[in-house]
Formats: sequence, C-alpha cells, structure tokens
Amino acid sequence: MPRREPSEEEVERRKIVGINAETITDVSSTDYPGVYPGEDHSWDLDKIRRTLQIEFHHNEPLLASFSLIGADASIANAFRRIMIADVPTLAIETVYIDNNTSVIQDEVLAHRLGLIPFRGGREGLDKFMKWYKKPDNGGGGDDDANTGYFDYNTVALRLSVECTHNEAAAPGETDPTKLYHHAHVYAKDIVFEPIGRQDQYFSGEDAIAPVHPDILIAKLRPGQEIHCTMHMHKGVGSDHAKFSPVATASYRLMPTIDILRPIIGADAEKFAKCFPPGVIGLEKVTRKEAARQGSGYEGHEGELKAVVRDPMRDTVSRECLRHDEFKDKVKLGRRRDHFIYQVESTGQWDSDAIFLEAVAHLKEKARRLEKQLLEMGC
Amino acid sequence: MSREQYQIPTGTQQSFTTGGGSGGREYGVESRAGIMHYICGDCAVRVPLEKDAPIRCQKCGARVLYKERTKRMVQFEAR
Ligand SMILES: [Zn+2]
Repeated sequence: MPRREPSEEEVERRKIVGINAETITDVSSTDYPGVYPGEDHSWDLDKIRRTLQIEFHHNEPLLASFSLIGADASIANAFRRIMIADVPTLAIETVYIDNNTSVIQDEVLAHRLGLIPFRGGREGLDKFMKWYKKPDNGGGGDDDANTGYFDYNTVALRLSVECTHNEAAAPGETDPTKLYHHAHVYAKDIVFEPIGRQDQYFSGEDAIAPVHPDILIAKLRPGQEIHCTMHMHKGVGSDHAKFSPVATASYRLMPTIDILRPIIGADAEKFAKCFPPGVIGLEKVTRKEAARQGSGYEGHEGELKAVVRDPMRDTVSRECLRHDEFKDKVKLGRRRDHFIYQVESTGQWDSDAIFLEAVAHLKEKARRLEKQLLEMGC
Repeated sequence: MSREQYQIPTGTQQSFTTGGGSGGREYGVESRAGIMHYICGDCAVRVPLEKDAPIRCQKCGARVLYKERTKRMVQFEAR
C-alpha cells in the first residue's frame, strides 16, 4: 500500500472531541499505527520534539497554570498522578502528647497537626533530608522503639500553649481572644527545634515553619493547655494525602467553539451570554463582509456579530445548545491533545517546580523499567 | 522525656505515706494512697476523693466529676 500523509485539516479534525447537547463523540485518540491504512503513525521521538509545546498562562509560587500541547492523555495523566501521589514533602507524622486538656481529642488534634503544610529551605528538603525508614521491630525489644531517628530524616517540632485570663481585658469584654491569652492555638505557635546539622540548612528564612501561620489548630479556655512534641518525616501522597505537595493538580481539555453560520444582532448578544465573560466577543459587521455574497452578512453592515475571543475561558456548559436559534450555527468541541493544567501548591514546593519534579519522576520510572527489560534479556 | 511511672492506687500499698522510707516517694496529703483526684464538672477544681466518699465537689457541691488525664506521654500517628 502506498504511503499517504493526511492533510493538515484532517489531522486537526481528528484531534477534536465532539460535544453535542447530550452526547460526546470521538473520545479516543486515533494517532497510533493500524487505524488509517497507509499512514505512518509509528512512535517517533523527533516528531514529539517538534510538536510538543508547553505554554505558561500564569506562574505564581502557589498557583501555576500551563498548557501541555501535543501529548497523549496517558502521558498527561501520568504527570498529574505523579504530582499528586509521588512528589515527596515533609509533614508531621508522629505526635507525642504530654498533655492536652482542650476540648479537642488527642487523635483529632494529631490528625489536624499532620495536615498543616510546612515550608523550609529547598536545599535542605531536597538534598539533606532523606527517607525515614521505620525500624522493623523483629527483635521485639523495647529499645527499638526510638532508634532510626537522625537529623537527616526527622524534624522535631514543639507546641506548648496554656490559656490564661487576660487581666488587662476591658470590663464587659466578650471576645474570647481579648478576654484570654492563647484562646486560639494557631499554626504559628508551633516551634521548630533543630537537631544536629539541621540549623545549617534550616535557619533564618529557610527555617521549618508553617506555610500559613494563621491556621487554627484548637480553641482553649482558661486552665486548658496543650503540650506536645512532633516528628516530621518525608513521605509521598500515595501513603497519605498530607504528604501531597498539591492542593489540586488537574487538567482539562482545551475547548473549541466554531461558529458555523453568522450570529447577528440581538441573537449575538444572547449568544455571548451563554458563555462565561470574555469567551465570545461582539464586533461590527464590516462593509466588506456585508458585500460578500453568500456570507450570511448581506444587508447587516454595522450590526453586531458574535466572534470567538478566548475559548480557553469556556466552561463548556453547553448552554448555547439549549437554544434552538443557535443549535446548528455552532459546533462545540475539545482538543484531545491540549491539556490545560492547574497546579495549586500547598506551599512546600513552588507550583512550577512540582511539575518539573513530576517530569523527573516519570523519567526515573522509565529508566527503572528499561533496566528491568534489559535484565529480562530480550 | 521524663515521665513518672503510673501507679495503681490501692488502699493497702502505701497507707504509711507520712513515714517515707528509703526510696519511697514523698507524697503530699493530696496524693495519699487511696485518694484519687477528680475534676469538678462545674467549677473545674481538683477534688480529692477518698474511697466510699460521696461523689461531690467540696467547693461547689456539684455531683458531676471527671477523671483526670493520664500524666504519661501518649503517642499518636498524625493520620
Ligand atoms: Zn465544683
């Protein structure tokens, strides 16, 4: 069979997932060998190098949004899952409670402490801190319980608060935070206690501290107190969500909106209201357009027409398909190979660094698989 | 981490507290053997109670008393 190259138009058409009022079409990708006779869809590194693109939409420490264009859903999903479950962070793992007379139970308090995100010097977190390995208590000796803790795998924190009456409070005061000292226990009350070489990596700006100092941990009343020490370890999100470096890491496919036939006048304004602000723009029909026969604009010079401004802002609510006047004038879709990521960091990593780390992780996984395959001797 | 060993309070074991033999710990009147402390549910005062004593706060007369929390450190997984 002679080799054929699909036209550019055809390639674009194949990338679109169709979105109708009640159904979705062309969900699966077809760019693999054996689908189209005579076309070469074998895996090609050079082609991926040429076509793969990454565009950042915004990039702040706690929130990054970017497009990954030209990748298959399996790759895009692998990055998403690695960001959620495989990129390590430091979090409170054990809580040693000396006293807790607050109304919040020990277990609940420990759980809440575990969920607080912390930050610290990047070099120390990446290079100095290693995994903590639970000593296997095979011997069953009592001495084993406290072994295995070193400065390079454990970070110690302390929380010591007591609630007392505030003698300086104005008479008739009803606000507990003014009436008492330490009525609220916040994340900023947690003190980092460096051990060993930790102050080389975690001092000053780089000290281990809660990302958000005003996270409410517990409420106290006079006479109540909380005294505990905490141990932090490195962990991954697949073990517990508190180790996940992201609050959310998700992607959606790029929406497409094709206006097939002109939408003019009051209809255009109604059409624009079917979408979030900024998606559809209104422009005046030019004299040139109005003069062209068969354009649908004849005799409408100066009236408003609907144009697609920014399909990325669309939520694909399909509202426009509910109105009969737009039903066959518009075609909605999504681009199968255009992934718009939204990565929201919990604060220990910069949000863009989480994606880079996910790429490094996937590479490492591939390397391990390659090694296994070579050892199989095939 | 310093912590005192928990001792089960029994009537017979340390009924001679005031003597304080070698190695014996000095207990105040408060923690004489057979006396347990409870927390008043109304006024939050520490209430010493002897065996068979009426369950009642000596300060305010409330009849709801709570057990004191253990003095030992307790370990939890933050999960
Ligand atoms: Zn009382």
